[in-house]
Order: sequence, then structure tokens, then C-alpha cells
Amino acid sequence: MSDHILSAFDRDLEAVQALVVKMGGIVEEQILNSARALETRDADLAKTVRERDRAVDQLEEKINEEAARLIALRAPAARDLRVALSVIKISASLERVGDYAKNIAKRSKVLLDSPPINGTPAAIRRMAQATEAMLKDALDSYIQRDVDLARDVRTRDLEVDQMYNALFREFLTYMLEDPRNITPCMHLHFIAKNIERMGDHATSIAEQVIYLVTGELPDDTRPKSSSVIETEV
Amino acid sequence: MNDMTLTERAVNATENKITARNVQVYYGENHAIKDVDVDILDKTVTAFIGPSGCGKSTFLRCLNRMNDTIDICRVTGEILLDNEDIYDRRVDPVQLRAKVGMVFQKPNPFPKSIYDNVAYGPKIHGLTRNRAELDETVEASLRKAALWNEVKDRLTAPGTGLSGGQQQRLCIARAIATSPEVLLMDEPCSALDPIATAQVEELIDELRTNYSVVIVTHSMQQAARVSQKTAFFHLGHLVEYGDTDKIFTNPTDPRTESYITGRIG
Repeated sequence: MSDHILSAFDRDLEAVQALVVKMGGIVEEQILNSARALETRDADLAKTVRERDRAVDQLEEKINEEAARLIALRAPAARDLRVALSVIKISASLERVGDYAKNIAKRSKVLLDSPPINGTPAAIRRMAQATEAMLKDALDSYIQRDVDLARDVRTRDLEVDQMYNALFREFLTYMLEDPRNITPCMHLHFIAKNIERMGDHATSIAEQVIYLVTGELPDDTRPKSSSVIETEV
Repeated sequence: MNDMTLTERAVNATENKITARNVQVYYGENHAIKDVDVDILDKTVTAFIGPSGCGKSTFLRCLNRMNDTIDICRVTGEILLDNEDIYDRRVDPVQLRAKVGMVFQKPNPFPKSIYDNVAYGPKIHGLTRNRAELDETVEASLRKAALWNEVKDRLTAPGTGLSGGQQQRLCIARAIATSPEVLLMDEPCSALDPIATAQVEELIDELRTNYSVVIVTHSMQQAARVSQKTAFFHLGHLVEYGDTDKIFTNPTDPRTESYITGRIG
């Protein structure tokens, strides 16, 4: 699409979108670092993740301010309006993902007090990597305005859901084996659930990209796994 | 999603008031309007938008044969008002303009009293039988134009002594005094301040309960605020015509999108 006659309008739109990309970059790192802190039992890294969440929150606030200013001063229409609306929704999703990463970091500190549960931190790291890759592709699809990539991200949410369901059953087994596993497994379960929710937010960002480009939200036909509530123990 | 549409924006009429088919307008050699087909609904505000020289005012002026006054102007195609061809030889343009009223860019009250400005149309068309009926028509028109309370104590004062916004509302009162069915407005607010503009816009919204209103405007925000249907003209073509909220959120034609987002003028 060609430039606006009023070039300051283009600069405003680019500036607010650059903030979203910056925020996305930080949040991706937060996901990976929180999973690494858990796996390597690194209390310092967990602390860094917790502290860095403030920068994520500030960026969200800044993006909301810029988007409100854009709407008030530029009266955007059509795709420009969808840019303004999508940055608000995408930054809200990123902020939630950031909060989950912070929560993982908090729980990994608590987990330092109990013995490691065999294999699960690595499984959680794999799940976090898959989710981070989803978020990265969702943000790439945003930058490239790539609807196909956004649709691909939507379908990949199923994998993360399945990883979560597998971990859920694993934690149940550990807790049934030995009641002393209950405290760490409860924390690990919340961590897995947090990552599963991150995947949902990455999906939601991908859906915003589809809305931004096509003007319509996708209909709800993506594959879904059966929920753990229906899973037999 | 239709049931979710705010009632405020809903188009409550489905009947066509004006039907235009294959309309061409030439100014001498210049082909100003090309193949325009459009259905204008009754009891609806329709906005014509587009860059200067795109033909929107020219097309508006076809709807009450104002172009007849321009010698070199030639109109072909079909324009039906309530299924009757307005370019039929038997149609008297003066009678047509009583049914299809017009309000112009600059308020142009006659150099007469406020009362006479409004009474003029009903008088020449013989719409009232006596003074009492005329008084009633003048008051009703001024009330509909949201001007009555401001002028009721000085009806004999000259219309030209009113403020710009009041003058424009006086012209609207004058246009509706002949009980038209369609009201054409050619940039009715471009000479008004924001407050007077808001008053006229409020008035336009009220008028649509009784009339079919067609407004040409350079302000896309005004089109978005007051209309239920929007037509985008570009280089003499009607590029896109549809629900105003659709045009401003997700237009179909890339030219419409470029124009409403400020990328082509």
C-alpha cells in the first residue's frame, strides 16, 4: 500500500508498530529465559525474568497511549483503523504472555527448595520452545502481513495443547506415586498451564494478523485437542 | 452479525427512492460521469464522497435536473424517482425541484425576511390556501430545521442577518417547506463552524425519518457520521457503493481504501 499524503501519519503508524515488535522481542526472550531458569535451576536468571516484566508492562502502556493518540488525532479508517485496533489487542496478548513468564520464574524459585522431578523440566522447555516459536511466527506474520503463516500458527496451537495434556497426566502419575511430589508437581503443572495459555495468546495474535489483513476474523474451525477435563486418569 | 448492528446505524428503509441506470454526463466533449448505476433508498442518508472533480456534485445535480441550466451539459441514461423517469419530456423541472429539494455549499438566503424565505416555495407552488396555513407551514418548516426557537421573535428580520449556521438551517427550512421527498445537499457544512456543523448534522439525522437525504461532502468524517450508505466516486466512475460502516472499516475496492485512508486525493 502506498504512503499517506500526510507523511506524519505513516510515521505514527510505523512508530507504534515498532513498539509492538520491540515488545514481542522482549516477551520471546522472557519465555525462553523462564524455561531455562527452571531447567538449570538458575535463581539469578529467574530473578532477571521477574524484574524484566516491568519493561513489558511499560511498553504495553506506551502502545495503548500511542494507539489512542493515533485514533484521536488521525481518525484512521479501514486498514489504518485495523492497525490501531490490532496493536492494542496484540500488546494486551503480549503483556499476558509476559505475566505468565514472570509467574514461571516465581514458581521456579519455589521449586529450588524441592528435589527435581525427573525429565519434566526438559519436557517443559520443549513446550516453551514450541510456544516461543509460535509467538515468533505470529509476530513475523504481523510484520510481513503474512496470512498463511498466521493460519499455520493457529493450527500449531494443537501441538502445545497436546504437550500440556501429556504433562498433565505425567504429573498425576508422580503425585499418585508419592505424596511428597505434590508440591513440586502442582507448581510444575501451573507452569505447563501457563505455557499452554501462552500458546493461546500467540494464536490470538495470529488471528489479529488475519483480521488486520483481510478485515475479518477467521471462523472457529481450527483443530482442537480434547481437554484434560475429559481425559481419564 | 446483522442483529448486533447498533440500531442507531441501521437502515430502516429498503424501498428505492431513486434508481439510476447507466447514467452518462457530458460537459461538451468532457465525459464527466461514466456508467453510473445506483439505488438510493428512501428514509436514508446517502453520502457521496470522492476527490475534487470526481463527479459527485455533477451526479447530485442530475437528480433534480439542475444540470439543465448548463447549456453544454448532456445527460443520458435513466434516472427514476419513484419509478418515474425524471428526464421524461412531460416532467416539469420546476415541479421536480419542489419534490427534490436542494441545499447548497454556501447559505444563500433570499434578501427577504426570515418568514418570506420559507414562505416563498409554498407560495409559488400554491401549496397553501390562506395566511393561516402559510403561517403553519413556515413554523413547521422552521421547527424541523431546528431554527424556530432562535427566530420565532424576529420572523420579519432579514434572513441575511442570521449567523452562518442559522442561515444554512434557514435554507434547509426553505428547502423542506415545499414538502419534498428527497433532499439533496451539496457540501452543506463546508462554510460552517464545528458547532453549526454539528447542528446541521443532527438535523440531517432527524430529516431522514421523513426524507431521503443525499449529501455530497468533502469531509469523510462527516460522511461517516451522518450517512447510512456511502458512494465513492473517482474520475467519473462510481467505484463503490455500500453500507457506510463497511466502506469505512473494510472497503472492497483498493481505490476506496486509498481514498478513505488518505492515500490518494
